[in-house]
Amino acid sequence: MKLRLSPQTILVLDAFLEQAEEWQYGYDLSRVTGLKSGTLYPILMRLAERKLLQTQWEAAEPGKPPRHMYRFTPEGLRFARANAAAPASGLSQVALGLVVR
Amino acid sequence: MGTPRRLAAKLLRAVLRLAPDESCEWASAMLRELEFIEGDWAALFWALGSTTAILRHAASGWRNWISRKERNKEGHMNSTGKKAMGVASGALLALILALAAFGLMRILTTVFPGLGHHDGHWPYFLGAIVIPEIIFVVSAILLWRKRTPIAAGILFTAIGIGIHVTVHLAMR
Repeated sequence: MKLRLSPQTILVLDAFLEQAEEWQYGYDLSRVTGLKSGTLYPILMRLAERKLLQTQWEAAEPGKPPRHMYRFTPEGLRFARANAAAPASGLSQVALGLVVR
Repeated sequence: MGTPRRLAAKLLRAVLRLAPDESCEWASAMLRELEFIEGDWAALFWALGSTTAILRHAASGWRNWISRKERNKEGHMNSTGKKAMGVASGALLALILALAAFGLMRILTTVFPGLGHHDGHWPYFLGAIVIPEIIFVVSAILLWRKRTPIAAGILFTAIGIGIHVTVHLAMR
């Protein structure tokens, strides 16, 4: 599977892995990873295009606009776990060079 | 709602309006998130980043579309067509060189009238026929492995000119 695992992509995968079963919002992901929207969304788009991420519109409640949500597909979860070389320390630490190999 | 937030909303609405179909869902998602962002300036920066993301996504879509088009165009031209094009371009190249050599010799014999007469037509024959023919054969040999159709086109022209000259000389 061709996906460039940049440190930012690994940060996003890590954020998803922490709550693998939960749907997540773009802004929340941005806050958790510290990535700006201009960096975060291209990563989400690539993951979704490669069917690693499923997207869904939140069921709209009255007076509240629907939000776009993201969650790993089973394949995405496998991919993220396969690339989680250091599960105890977290992917993001590997990405940021905090883990010495 | 502060001015930066209003500006951010306007920007993302414009992006949503102009975005290609495949980017619309994402642009819409970014616009929805805007309402949950704390801080007007943060909202504006969110909108600016989102606009960049949508532009990049649209650009990659257009790139893919152009490359698909080009691949299709190449696919439509079958191998016979490609070979014919190669042969034609080789022949055309050789013909241009032959005409250039011929023209050059005409100019030289006009400027230096004695050139073609002292030793018969040999200098003329050498410049307009022999040297171009040698160039054709050498280039055809060099191109044969990698650009066979072009080499064949050059050879055809070389043979054509050779036959023409032979017939011309035989008739005299």
